[in-house]
Order: sequence, then C-alpha cells, then structure tokens
Amino acid sequence: MSRELASFVEDFVVPLLGGGDVWIGRPMRLRDRDEWARALGPRVAPQLSYWRLRRAQLLVANPVLEEPDADELALWLGLHNLLVFDHPDRGRVWTRATTWRKLEGVTRTLLTLPQPQAAAELLARHVTIGAFVELARAEIVVPTPTGEVRTAAPEPGPRKRLRGAVAGAREQTSSWWTASHAPETDRLVPDALRASPLTCLLRPLQAPPGWSPLHCAVLLRSRAFARAVCHAWASHKDWTRQGGAVMAALLPSLGGASLPAPLPVPGGQLALPGAVVPCDPADVAAIVGALVHLHLLKVLELDTRVGLALGSRDPGILSFLALPLLLPTLAPVMGLPMSMSTDTGPTAAVARRWTEYVDHLEELVPRSVVENLLSTLVPRIVKPP
Amino acid sequence: MAQTLLEPVAAGQTRFRMQGLSSDPRGIAVGRETLVALPSLDALVSFLGAYSDEASLDDLLPSMTLEQARRGGGGHATLVRCHSSDGYAVDRLARLATAARGALYTGGGATFVRWRDREAPFGYDLAEPLQPPRDELVVVDLDFVAHYTTTHRMDPVELIQRLELRAVPVPLGGISRDPELCGLKEMALLLAAPALAHRVLRYLWRLEVPMAGYYVRLAGDAQPSLLLRLRQPRSRVLDVLAGVPGLELLAPVSSRAAVEIGWRHPIQLASAQTCLPGEEMFLFRGTTGRVERLDGPPRFVDGRHLVESTVAGRLREIGQLRDAELEPLRVELRMRKATLAREPRAVVIGWDQVKLLRHLVYMLPPSALAAARLVPLDAGVVVLASAGALGRGASAAGLGAGVLLPLGQRLGEVAPGVLVPDGHELWPRVRPALLRQLLGLGPDDHALYLSPTADPIRVRPDQLRPLDAALIGRLTLDEPSLVTPEMPAVGAGVVRNQRLGRFALWGFGGAPAATPRPADDGEGGP
Repeated sequence: MSRELASFVEDFVVPLLGGGDVWIGRPMRLRDRDEWARALGPRVAPQLSYWRLRRAQLLVANPVLEEPDADELALWLGLHNLLVFDHPDRGRVWTRATTWRKLEGVTRTLLTLPQPQAAAELLARHVTIGAFVELARAEIVVPTPTGEVRTAAPEPGPRKRLRGAVAGAREQTSSWWTASHAPETDRLVPDALRASPLTCLLRPLQAPPGWSPLHCAVLLRSRAFARAVCHAWASHKDWTRQGGAVMAALLPSLGGASLPAPLPVPGGQLALPGAVVPCDPADVAAIVGALVHLHLLKVLELDTRVGLALGSRDPGILSFLALPLLLPTLAPVMGLPMSMSTDTGPTAAVARRWTEYVDHLEELVPRSVVENLLSTLVPRIVKPP
Repeated sequence: MAQTLLEPVAAGQTRFRMQGLSSDPRGIAVGRETLVALPSLDALVSFLGAYSDEASLDDLLPSMTLEQARRGGGGHATLVRCHSSDGYAVDRLARLATAARGALYTGGGATFVRWRDREAPFGYDLAEPLQPPRDELVVVDLDFVAHYTTTHRMDPVELIQRLELRAVPVPLGGISRDPELCGLKEMALLLAAPALAHRVLRYLWRLEVPMAGYYVRLAGDAQPSLLLRLRQPRSRVLDVLAGVPGLELLAPVSSRAAVEIGWRHPIQLASAQTCLPGEEMFLFRGTTGRVERLDGPPRFVDGRHLVESTVAGRLREIGQLRDAELEPLRVELRMRKATLAREPRAVVIGWDQVKLLRHLVYMLPPSALAAARLVPLDAGVVVLASAGALGRGASAAGLGAGVLLPLGQRLGEVAPGVLVPDGHELWPRVRPALLRQLLGLGPDDHALYLSPTADPIRVRPDQLRPLDAALIGRLTLDEPSLVTPEMPAVGAGVVRNQRLGRFALWGFGGAPAATPRPADDGEGGP
C-alpha cells in the first residue's frame, strides 16, 4: 500500500467527509490515480468507510455503499486539484502558464466520469460532492484604513510570527462556495457537479447547465430516497424556485415530439441531437410524483402563500406550479397524493386545504402552461391507448 | 346595429385609449379621479355615513367636491368627485356607492368610465376615443353614455355640519340600564338652562359627582347656559338629569363634538375631524334641532370653583383629651355559641385519626393540597386551609382542605387568622383588626381556639408546615448514565493550504517522469 495514498486519504478525504482541516498540497497527476487505484482497499484508512457511511446516513437511514473504486479516487484527486487553483502560494510556483492549463486539463479528465447507473454509485458520488459543496475556507482578515482585506490562510509555519505582527489580523472560516475563486476553479466546478447527479437534484439551483433529473430517476423510485429529496427541497424557503429549476432541467431532456423524427433532407444541414436522456415512463412519473409531493408537503406545512408578480414569470416555476393541475390526467397511472376523503377527521381538513390550494393554482397559472404540459409531459407518463 | 362603448382591459395592458387611465400594481385601470353618481341627497348622506363608519372621511374630504347636476336626457343626480389613490380604495368606494344606490366611475377631467366588475376584473377602457362637450361631464357605461351639467356645488364641510340628527331609541329602562350604549360610561356633558344652573350644581355637589364646567352663551340666548363635564357619572344621577326639562345630556363623540342623548349624527364624526374646522366645540342638539358652535376650545373649570359655599359655622380643634382610663367600660372577651354558619378554615384531627388523613390526602385537589398547612400539636394535628392570605381572598382559591377533610373538629374564622370551634363566636363582636391587636398577634401569626373552654394558641408562620411535604416521604432519584458518542458528528471540512514548493508543478509540462517522485517532497527537483 502506498504511503502517499494513506496520507492523502487521511489529510484530504477523511476531513472532507467528516469535517476538520482539509489540507491542500501539490497537485496530483493522472499516474497517481493509476498507481493508487491498485492499492485501494479497506486497509487504506480505517476511518474512511465509517465517514462515507455517516455522510450517506445524512440522506437515508440504511444506505448501501460499495467500496471506493477508481472513479471515486479520481473524483477525490480532481477535487484536490480543483482546490489547488485557489492556493495562496500559487504565485511562488516556478512554471509557465501553459503548465497551469495542462493541470486544468488533467483535473477535468479526473472529474469527467461516466454517468452513474446504480443507486449505490449515485450515492457514493453524492457523498463526495455533497461534502465538497459544503466546504468552508480558512481566511485571514486584515483590517486596513480602506476596509478589510481577506485572503486564504496559508499553512502556519515560519510565517506565524509575521502574521501575529500585523495589527488586528484575525483568522475566520467562511463558506467556500460563495467565496471568489480563480477562473480555472470557476470553470471546473460545473464539471465536478456534473459528476454527481444526486447532488444536483438536491441543490437544483446550483446544478450546471445540461443537467437532467432523469439521471436520478432510479433513486426517486425508492421511497426512502424520494422522501429525503422532497424534504430537502421543502426545507428551502424558496421552494418554488427549487421545483422550478428541476422542471426547467427536466423538460428539455425529455427530447422532441413523440412523433418519429423526419428523415433528413438530402443536402440540408443536419441538426445535432440534443442531450436527451433515455428513460421510461416510470422514471418521468417518479420525478413528477416527487414534485407533486413537494406541493403536498407545503400544504401540510401551511406554507403555500404562492404569489407571482407579472414581471417574474419564470417558465420553470410556472410549469412546476402547474403540476397539481395535471393530476386528473395523471391519476390513472400515478394515483393521487392522498385519499381525498370527505369524511370528518384530520385527512378531511388536509383534503380541503389541498383542494383550496389547487383552486388557487388554477387562478394563478395561465391555461397555456397547463396545455403545454398536457401535450409534452403527460404523454411521456400516460401512454395514449 | 349596437355599438360597443367599452372594452374590458386585458391583463398586463398598459396603454389605454382614454386619457388619464393608468394601471396600478395589480394591473387594474385606475383614473386620476373617481366619480360617484348618486340619485338623491339622501343617498349621498347614506354614502358618507357608511364611508365614515369604515374609513376616515379626513382622507376623502380634501379632494372631494359635491355637485348637483342635471342629466342630459332629463333627471338630476348628485355627483361626488374625489382623487383616487389606488385600486383598493376605489374598490371600497364602489362597494359603498352600490350600497347607497349609486354607481362609481373612474377617469379624469370630464370623461369617466365604468369601474371594474366581474366581467372585466381589470376595468374598462373606451372602445373609441371620446371628445366631451364643453362644460359637460360624460359618463360612459356598458350600454349608455350620460351627459351631466353642473347646476350648483355644495361645500361638504358645511353640508355635514347642517345635517339633521336622527333619533335613536334610548334603553327601555332609562339610561341607567346601559350607560355604555349611550356613550356616557366614561364622560357625559350636561347643558343646563340658565335658570337651572345653580340648582343642578347644588344637586351634583351634594352627591360628590366629579365635575367641571363653564358658562357658555348660546346664539340667541340672553343669559349664559352652564355646560358641565361629568366624569364616570352614576347611573342614578344620569336618570335624574335626563328626566328634567331644561337639561340636556350630551355624549362626546370626538374631542370637539358632542351629540345629545337619543339622537345620532348621520356621519361618524370621530372619523371626520376636518368637518369641524377651527378650535370651536360643536354641540349637536336634536330636541331643538340646532348645532351650537361654542367660542373657542372648551375651558372647563373644576366644579368646586363653581359652587357657592354657605357654611356659617367653623370647625374647632379638640383642646385636650381626657387621660383617665375608661375603667368602667372594660369588658372581657368571651366565647359563646352562635348559629351563624361559617366556612371551616381548619380542622383539628386527633392522633388516632392521622392514619385516615394519609388516605384522604390522595383525594384533595392540587390547589387545596398546595395551600394547606399542618401544625402538629399535643391535642392533634391542625390542618389549615391556607397560610399566606390570612383569610383575605381565601374563597378565590376554591374549596380548602378544611372543607374537604371529613375528620376531626372544624374551626371557623372570626377574624383574619383567628380560628374558633365551629358553631362558636367571640363576644362582643369587636372589629377583626382590633381582635388581632387585642390578642397580640404578629402580621402572619394565627390564633387557634381548640375548644370553647381552652385558651387560644399562637402559631407562628415558621411553625406551619406544608401538608404535602409533611406527609409524603422523600423520593430518591436515579442518576442517569450519559452515553457519549465515540466519534464526533459529521461537519463541514475547512480548506487549509500547505506550503507549495517552487517546483510543485514539475512534471506536468513535459513527458511523465520515468520514476515516481519521493512521496513527501513538495519541491522535488528535475
């Protein structure tokens, strides 16, 4: 077993997953991945399996995780390299600009992984990328007459004495995601997010362009994961924007019309195929069902004060708000969110609130949006006889 | 062929054919002005009255004009014009105008169109631009165009002051039955005719009614009348004053206006302060049908300065008290049987019955158990219903332990903290405070007469024990064993940077090196 791999896992991966100081050192190479992939195993770091499990348990109670493989190792290495571009000592490194560009290419290669298919693989990717999104950054704040200057904290070493000499300098942590980054980092972050569709599903407002929730449909067909995702959406104050972002990503990935594609005209320009994700009706139904369940959660929370200004009519949000209006059409396949009992009792009160909410949406959402969804989305779930 | 006069405004429409229309934040077409067309003056009064009940007329009056107008095809109308602020205010005006049998239009200048309704929730716009004739007001509805010519204008403030009061019934049994309904509970104004002023003052002064007043000269009167302000007048006084001819009771409706009892102003005057200009006080008298404008703000003088003192004799101080003791008057305090029933405040339970007390404690309600105190004596255990209040307010705490425990000899309270056996009392019946003083009791001491023949026992507050604590044994709590997690919770990682050597990117620029670099070397050479 490589001693470098053990120290890398101990200094970078374990603190990344469990919390603590995530140390960023010299960038990693592709050959590091090839060498270390052979040495991967449960003996690399005994804590690694524990922290992966703890991270996954933040989402579901009994997660199923496989042992880390070469793809996950590449993800760790890519994230490490991504953070190197923000290093405060970057100016000291003797090299040319082309070398930094090569490093960016290597990092992109490490982060570009095949789309995960199995639920365990999706969860393993989210364990790493979800921790990456929540990272914090140690900063040195130096007050100056013109305001505070912030910079990433260097390693405490020989300069410790110098740092103490600066009057009023203090160290504090802030969110890494919201801080300003190097241009290379900004370019690589979408690649990192694209590696984990589940993280994109949980944080749809941060997801990169071209992402589709259909990649996670296999997870949403599981009750535990669907509940976790719906509650993660519902915990945000701007839940309509969350749902709107998911719908905005879902609709383009459904592909063109259900009619067979016309034959290309000889001599004409061929259109490139879009990022269409192959899926079956149950996948689309799972996503739509989760979004409708988000509406129901908000009705139960009495947090459905939905208002739309005339100028801020986002098509994604409108499509999301129109979903409960499609239920009469989708009910034969998907069922209803709850038994609409008219008897007295607690369910009757909720059913009444749900009916009032749907009536309110009917006044709010333009009819054209509903008609559009009836002709594009509904045929993907309910196959015409 | 029928011609369309108005077109519904579409959602989000910002351009209109009619000048002066603009869309408010909700997208409703609102004009600069609002026009309410009412069929008669009565409808106008109803409209103003209803508006003053809901909102403040002071917001409406500065921009309001009232006009009597003649309609082009025949007929008259009363027109109310005012500035329109937003769609919500105009909605309220439209609702009230409909209730007063009128109609509301919006627009500006000389052209007005129909206000929004169910068919056109964003309002109406002209189907074709319209040029109104000179000196005429054009009102465009869905199916007609009306031309109005103003005949004369009215001052709204003057109109409101001149409105006739409306009679309202007083309570059937007189004002004393419900002074709050008449608005006289806190304060009443009394206008006394000149000839009755002194008699009224004498009557009120004798009854010690808190009052203040001054003399006002009403228009057309030779002598000044007396205006009195009575604070929290008694019901009986109000009944007497209301029945005397020449006296008028007035209820204040705002700081500068009062309306006679039995009458009501059509407008809610509290919401129309600008209708009463200046600093004068206005008295609206319904019986005589007059509005009195008093000169200047009311300057009430305290009532004691208004009455004349006719006492001839003078008070004299006592020169010297006789120091001799009143030996022949000294009597002994005895206990005798009495038929007066008292609530038991304590019970004396013999030691042989204490075992029963232990069982009965479970039946006591929590408030009674918390308040009960226990004094162990040789003769038995005395259970007091409460200790703190010394009889004051004991009934508010509900039934005490003395009532609920069916054991022993019951003790009643003849004075605060002085308990005698049930069916007895102390004779003569001296004042309770004096009785405590005669017994030499401290502020929180109790005196217990355990039997009619025995001497009283003094019980100090530190000798009283809470009944619940005295009866219940000590409880022992098990110490919980806390389980500390072996590993810390999942948290966010903090990015920290190791030192980057000058050759950190060595090997990235060219072909991969043949041999791997040393592991812990950040500045590895070529």
